[in-house]
Amino acid sequence: MRRRGVARLAALSIAVCGASVGASPGLAQQDPLTRAFDLERRGDYVAAVDAYRAVLARRPSEVSAILGLERSLVPLNRLPEIIPAVRAALAAAPVPAAPSLAPVYAAGIRAWAAAGEPDSLRRLAERWVQVSPRDELPYREWGAALLPHDRPGAKQVYLLGRERLARPEALAAELAQLALLEEDYPTALREWVAAIRKLPGYQPSAVGALQGAPSRIRPELLRLLERDGSREARRLAAELSVRWGDAVGGFRLLRSTLGTGPSEDREALHRFIESLRGVGTREAMRAQAMALEALAERSPEAQASRQRVEAAHLYSESGDRDAARRMLAGVADDRAGGSGAASAAAALVSLLLEEGKPEEAERRLAAAAGTIPADERDALARRIARGWIRQGRLDRAAQAVARDSSVDGLALQGRIRLYRGDLAGARRQWQAAGPFAGSREEATERAMLLATLQTIEADSLPELGEALLAAERGDTAAAVAGLERVAGELDPVAGGAELRLMAGRMEAARRRNVDAERLLRSAAIERAPATAAAAELELGRLLISLDRREEAVEVLEHLVLEHPQSALVPQARRLLDVARGAVPRT
Amino acid sequence: MRRREFIRRSGAALLAASPVTRVMGPHLRRRASWFLVPMDDAQSDHLKAYGVTYRLLQRGGRAEWLLNYRHGSFLMPADAATRRDAALAGVTVEPMDDGRVTEIRGEIAASNMDAIPLEKAPKVAVYAPPNAAPWDDAVTMALQYAGIEFGKVWDEEVLRQGLADYDWLHLHHEDFTGQYSKFFLNYAGAPWLMEMVDRNQRMARKLGFPSVPAEKRAVAQAIAAYVERGGFLFAMCTATETLDLALASDGVDIAAVYADESPMDPNASNKMDWSRALAFRDARLELRPTVSQFSDIDGHQVNAPERRQPLGSFTLFNFSAKIDPVPAMLVQNHRAVIPDFYGLTTSFTRRTLKPGVTVLAEEPGAPWVKYIHGERGQGTWTFLGGHDPEDPQHQIGDPPTDLSLHPHSPGYRLILNNVLFPAAKKKELKT
Repeated sequence: MRRRGVARLAALSIAVCGASVGASPGLAQQDPLTRAFDLERRGDYVAAVDAYRAVLARRPSEVSAILGLERSLVPLNRLPEIIPAVRAALAAAPVPAAPSLAPVYAAGIRAWAAAGEPDSLRRLAERWVQVSPRDELPYREWGAALLPHDRPGAKQVYLLGRERLARPEALAAELAQLALLEEDYPTALREWVAAIRKLPGYQPSAVGALQGAPSRIRPELLRLLERDGSREARRLAAELSVRWGDAVGGFRLLRSTLGTGPSEDREALHRFIESLRGVGTREAMRAQAMALEALAERSPEAQASRQRVEAAHLYSESGDRDAARRMLAGVADDRAGGSGAASAAAALVSLLLEEGKPEEAERRLAAAAGTIPADERDALARRIARGWIRQGRLDRAAQAVARDSSVDGLALQGRIRLYRGDLAGARRQWQAAGPFAGSREEATERAMLLATLQTIEADSLPELGEALLAAERGDTAAAVAGLERVAGELDPVAGGAELRLMAGRMEAARRRNVDAERLLRSAAIERAPATAAAAELELGRLLISLDRREEAVEVLEHLVLEHPQSALVPQARRLLDVARGAVPRT
Repeated sequence: MRRREFIRRSGAALLAASPVTRVMGPHLRRRASWFLVPMDDAQSDHLKAYGVTYRLLQRGGRAEWLLNYRHGSFLMPADAATRRDAALAGVTVEPMDDGRVTEIRGEIAASNMDAIPLEKAPKVAVYAPPNAAPWDDAVTMALQYAGIEFGKVWDEEVLRQGLADYDWLHLHHEDFTGQYSKFFLNYAGAPWLMEMVDRNQRMARKLGFPSVPAEKRAVAQAIAAYVERGGFLFAMCTATETLDLALASDGVDIAAVYADESPMDPNASNKMDWSRALAFRDARLELRPTVSQFSDIDGHQVNAPERRQPLGSFTLFNFSAKIDPVPAMLVQNHRAVIPDFYGLTTSFTRRTLKPGVTVLAEEPGAPWVKYIHGERGQGTWTFLGGHDPEDPQHQIGDPPTDLSLHPHSPGYRLILNNVLFPAAKKKELKT
């Protein structure tokens, strides 16, 4: 046993020694090529050319060296000098048809093209064709070499290749691109369809190339695809329709091609959905939803639920609420739907709230309460409370969040108190809720309202509550009138200026610019400097939006110079830059 | 140390002896009569500081550029207009009394520093097509942000002597070889390119040239003549390289077939007359029409994948302020090492620089430099490689850089150094 181990060790040592001895000449042979690569990488092309030639002197058919020589000669503008090396490589090759020689032929073709010798180029290309008579590559390289200087010649070569190869789809992608260069879109279209038929992977290239077709000829191109009628043509038409702004039409075309097999259908639908991601128009969202719905019909149940929920969201965002509700109700009522059903129920509640149906939403939430996680249920209850607030039903709103002791719940309860005019109660609840409850926007808005409330000395002002509730319900006109009325009864320093500022912001938001300007100017009084700075900033913003830039500059300069300690000064400086046209408009 | 002490004491003595001080007594000695605009890290907006200085000159005031003192600070009289302007721009100014200023002058006299009087707001022209978006050009953005006025000129104005009205001309990414930055084939069909081609072809026809390359060469020659007559030229990005290629290629076809309907001379590199160029020599031209590079002047070759070099950082040279005030002005900065940024022309290979070109910034150890300067006739030229110092990988269609987010940009400071450099009093320009 031990002796056998020693014998094995000895054999291994010999093998290792043998390998290392045998490897030495190999490494020595590789060195010049490595050196040539290094010289090329460092940008010393002159030396790299010499190094590659040295390699080729020993091994004329070394393809890496031929290609390296070509790369180094190009920046030196000496590409034709590669020709002797190409000749030697071809002469030295034991089998002229070896596929590994293709790069050598290609390099030779490019060199003859650079030398401006079309006859030699043709001879070399024909020689390549002779040894590879079934291959498209010689024609592809030959045409590409001619293309920059001789477009008709390139076209002839491609057509010659197609004829000799006797394949109608041969070199279709090349002919398509050539047709595009000639702005012959119908031909380009036909060739792309042929190319896709041969290799479906060409589809994205075809779409990318054809999407830039001028709008006037797009209908004609779609007609050509319709006339072709093949599945490839209809799928290309579907994607082009999407790119040309008719996403729903695109989906209809795609739908007409489905039915070949679940796997292929799913792939086509996935590709279509992906092509619409990020488009963001209502039409695109609707088409995406339709595709998701079709995908759900072809997917396993667990995936299908998720896809239907996603489709519902998209339908909803595209404005097709009926379709959204149809999707969601189907999933939510599915008792075996698991988390998909819960998520659908939540989405359905949201949808009903968006439609202004808090009563129905409350019913749906109660029915699905057991399946929805507690945090999510509370969040939905708060949304229902907001829905009631928007309807002016403060009692139902308070009832919906009565048992919610989260910070978000406290914040909402504070808001309900505010709308009832209980300023002291609102202040108390909001202070208990802290500064981080709700979304960032809600927290910021609440902080601003709290700052306003703190300047007001009264504990109860029902008229202010009504005005703010009117604003919440979208009745800005009533809100502004109410705010102005309350402001008139308060000292400017004790909330009067702040309420005018708030009313001015509301008027500016609804583009009632004259009233906005009047209110903002009346808020910008020296006795209330903090409010004055904020009012001047708003006023500056308003004047810029009205293109009264010089006046804006005056107001903003006043802010910067008269309130240098205000935290709003950096914003004012930025707005000054905007007013002076020094900030790019994106 | 002793020398500095002597200057401080003698300065204080002189100040005490001045008529104003004598009349007003010690009260005035404490009053700020100067503003120092620091340009070290105490400055809250380096770029707008140039605007404050420029506008002071525009109002007929005088300032001094304190080269190498707190990274190129400015000293100016403490008048109400400057105080207001600085407050509005958010530029830090430090009030100084005469005594403190005398101390600073003493420090400057004893160190590698100098005070250069600035006395005239230069008239600035930017070379750009009439409807070019202002935001795709680093200099236009810097001027707009700093609040420095400028006029726009294009081919017609340049060829009709419109440059005579300006002290300073800026070029950016114009392709003076007339090949539309060699985007013609790769961006075929793009609306912006079609518009660019159409606009240039119409202008060439209007001015009576057979092709755009021929017209652009004439524009390049007019710009070189402007420098010859005493103009200040500052160029960035492609304008640097292609200006020289256009100048050196008189009588040689270096434009691809799509630009002038005749193929490029394959032997063009050997036929160039580099004596006509401002900065470069012996460059080899890029022959491929699809590669958006022009020659091996550019070290980084951003659009030639097989030759593209990664970005590093470049280092500004520290010149003697008293002996070489011009290069010293051009490199005033609060950072000596600045991250590099790509452009169609990012850098300049050392091999292709003419003898006598002053290198202002380089990437140590690399075969290229970043920032160069030289003279031609009565004028000077300065070339800075790259497109946008705050958008190192700038791509076509990228959103414009908002400089209010980069108020301390050291790269943009280099651009603004060039704007104020022609404001320096002539006798101080020793190089």
